Amino acid sequence: MANFKFSQPVMGRRTFIGGALATGAVAALAGCGGGENGGGDASGKKVMNYYLSEPAFIDPYNAQENQGTSVVFNVFDGLMEWDWDSASAVPCCAAEEPAVSEDGRVYTFKLREGMKFHNGDPVDAESFIRGWKRVASPKMETPSDICYHLAPVAGYNEFHEGGTEEFSGLKAVDELTLEVTLTDPMADFPAVCCHPGLAPVPACADEDPKAFLEKPVGNGPFMMTEPWKHNQYISLARFEDYYGDKPSLDGVYMSIQKNPDTAFNEFQAGSIDFASIPSGKIKECIDKYGESEDGFTSTPGKQCLLGTELSTYFLIPSPQDPFLADPKVRRAVSLAINRQNIVDTLYEGSRMPATSIMPTSIDDSPENVWEDCKYDPEAAAKLLDEAGYPANADGKRDIEITLNYNGDGDHGDLMSAVQLDLEAVGIKVTQETVEWATYLQQLGDKNFSLGRLGWTADYPTMDNFLYPNFFTGADNNYEEYSNPEMDAAMLAARQIQDEEERKAACRKICGTIGKDMPVIPIMFYAHNYIGSERMKSFNYDAQTKPHFETAELA
Amino acid sequence: MLRYILKRILQFIPVFLGVTLILFIMQNVVPGDPIKLIAGEKKMDPQTEMNIRAAHGLIVTDENGNIVFDEDGNTIATPMVDRYFNYLGNLLQGDLGTSYQKGRAVRDMIFEAYPHTVQIALVAIVIETFVGVGAGIISAIKRYSFWDILVTLTTSMLVAMPAFWLGLLLQLIFGIWLKDATGGAVALPVSGVPGPFPQFPAWSYYILPAVTLAAVSTAYTARIMRSQLVEVMNQDYIRTAKAKGLSKRSIIFHHALKNALIPVVTYIGMDFGGMLAGAILTETVFNWPGIGQMTYVAITQRDWPIVMGSVTVIVFVVMIINLIVDVSYAFLDPRIRLGNKSEK
Repeated sequence: MANFKFSQPVMGRRTFIGGALATGAVAALAGCGGGENGGGDASGKKVMNYYLSEPAFIDPYNAQENQGTSVVFNVFDGLMEWDWDSASAVPCCAAEEPAVSEDGRVYTFKLREGMKFHNGDPVDAESFIRGWKRVASPKMETPSDICYHLAPVAGYNEFHEGGTEEFSGLKAVDELTLEVTLTDPMADFPAVCCHPGLAPVPACADEDPKAFLEKPVGNGPFMMTEPWKHNQYISLARFEDYYGDKPSLDGVYMSIQKNPDTAFNEFQAGSIDFASIPSGKIKECIDKYGESEDGFTSTPGKQCLLGTELSTYFLIPSPQDPFLADPKVRRAVSLAINRQNIVDTLYEGSRMPATSIMPTSIDDSPENVWEDCKYDPEAAAKLLDEAGYPANADGKRDIEITLNYNGDGDHGDLMSAVQLDLEAVGIKVTQETVEWATYLQQLGDKNFSLGRLGWTADYPTMDNFLYPNFFTGADNNYEEYSNPEMDAAMLAARQIQDEEERKAACRKICGTIGKDMPVIPIMFYAHNYIGSERMKSFNYDAQTKPHFETAELA
Repeated sequence: MLRYILKRILQFIPVFLGVTLILFIMQNVVPGDPIKLIAGEKKMDPQTEMNIRAAHGLIVTDENGNIVFDEDGNTIATPMVDRYFNYLGNLLQGDLGTSYQKGRAVRDMIFEAYPHTVQIALVAIVIETFVGVGAGIISAIKRYSFWDILVTLTTSMLVAMPAFWLGLLLQLIFGIWLKDATGGAVALPVSGVPGPFPQFPAWSYYILPAVTLAAVSTAYTARIMRSQLVEVMNQDYIRTAKAKGLSKRSIIFHHALKNALIPVVTYIGMDFGGMLAGAILTETVFNWPGIGQMTYVAITQRDWPIVMGSVTVIVFVVMIINLIVDVSYAFLDPRIRLGNKSEK
């Protein structure tokens, strides 16, 4: 019988083949050294390698989420820009502060002279009207989701409904003068004009909208070098004819990453200069890379960005829940939740316990604080007793709440912590999770008990946290909060031109609404990002916008 | 043979119609409104919602594109049957619709993503075929040796290892640790496809994702190959060949292997079809811009035009692959004659 084992002395040949293969593999890998942080292209230009998730849109007309706005913000300049030092809107394409009519309805913007688009076209008043009409138009192939920013402008409804081609509230007085008429006074309108979506666009945006969708031609400090490579990268180069200060970067390579853990691996491998820190690694990263002093600027040795963002995470009581309809129960729920424990144990202390709906990064006045936004289980128990739900012999109360949320969004641990806190004061709690699509439907149908949502500022104003969430019938008022007195106060505050007076009015509104506890704020979101050591300076602001125009590479 | 192939191609039509019809029905059954999802956490105002629905043909509009309202002032949903026939009509013209979320032509999106899926699937299938079949043969002809135990242990580990975890582990080892250990002289790209300024040779970008994608399948291929070859080696005709004094190499490669390969080819063929449907986890871990992750995201976002377009293309490709596999049997085993009466 034949022996089927290879018993002949063939080792020499196999060793040779194996050796050759191994040598080849090592030689091949040796050619794979890669570059430190990419470092840009072969010509040695200063190109920053930035991490980005796949945006939805990079055409300003529909710049709806922070990925798309990161691109639009650097490729386009609007009339105004937000100045974080003075916490106010300052002129950008506008040559000066806008002139406001006595009734507060007409804003006249004088534009700077000599501004150009990346294709050489001049930036004029018409280009702003063109851009804003695209935002509000129902005739775009996919109508914009951010058109609501222009809702305060006169003629918006008629234009948005498709009844007319004219947007009556927008007028080019001359080549460099844009007049905007509002339906009602809105003193925060200059802040609205800071939104990257409200940018000017050249005529080619209307001539070839499909091409513009992939490679928008802007007027900002950076221009796109080629059309968006979906799910791969977006490549920007410095615009040499930019009217403002020239950026020190030659370009930005925005590497589109699908998975934050992979992005962090890329950062560790030195391929990208900016990434998000995976959960559970914040303390480790602070030890290794240092923490940014202001929370928003990365410099060598102080690279972890942990600044508070303009976003609040909150629970929403359903208006139809029999228990939560009672403000005393809502207040008790709020008092029972240990927010500090949540941020410490689940987020390594990197987020901030909410003190009201208003993030401290918008306004840190104590007047905004909601009295019951603190941990006091004894007070919670007392309120539940007063509300008619005394504790039974076993400590449980005849009150039952379901925590509704989307199970695909990493909220499970937080909700479990909330459940434990509520059960500790005798409330029976169950959890019900569905996926995001179904959850949104449940919210819309009011088919929930105690849900969750987050609110991120469109512009850093107090009104942006009050009106959309608490004005009667406002789109995001899922809890159906209605207080005619507060409605009137919100409308009145919008008309106050003096910024400090307006803020004072908004603080009063915020504090008063808090007494009803219409939603239960849990925490303020915060950055969890990291910059590479080769970035001498890079600012990533509280609104999650990367400032490439001021970034410097070593 | 030609008749058989034509018959199989004709069978594509009902499968095609069936799949698209099921998907269309699913759109009405699965909860979640795709248009509301566009707005995310911020609710959309009703007029904007109507405009977007009209733009995507979800509500009835007149010939000028103006929204049509019923007597009560409500919009009228476009009947599903109308939408289905519109879809089929557009499909015949090569139009797969427009994404709800991205506002882009689905055809363009698939044309961009699918080549990446095919590339990585081809590299993975080559790895699977050579490594899997090779390891299986060695394991079978050296039963109970060190090599057999090594193959068995390695395949057990690979089968048990989640692709997501394996991918991240390979990134750490070859992308970070190896680079640190060699002072940057030797490393592999962590993720992605080569961009405009590739830091590594283009071919190196395929290694880690292809190995991750092929890992589990290679293990199964090796196991199937081993068990089949062991079984065939005990057949009478192999014993006869041995009695005739043929060399063991000749017996294995000319007599045993062809028969043992039939189940392996079936498995590899099916697996290749699966890979061409996209690999969600591998594509996610390695930022590979393929069709798998795109389809998965589209499902979570209820972006039905992308789901319909992707599935349509994937079904077509998988049917073609299955046909090729079936035809290949005839070459591997001359006793199999496709399309003849003996087939019955």
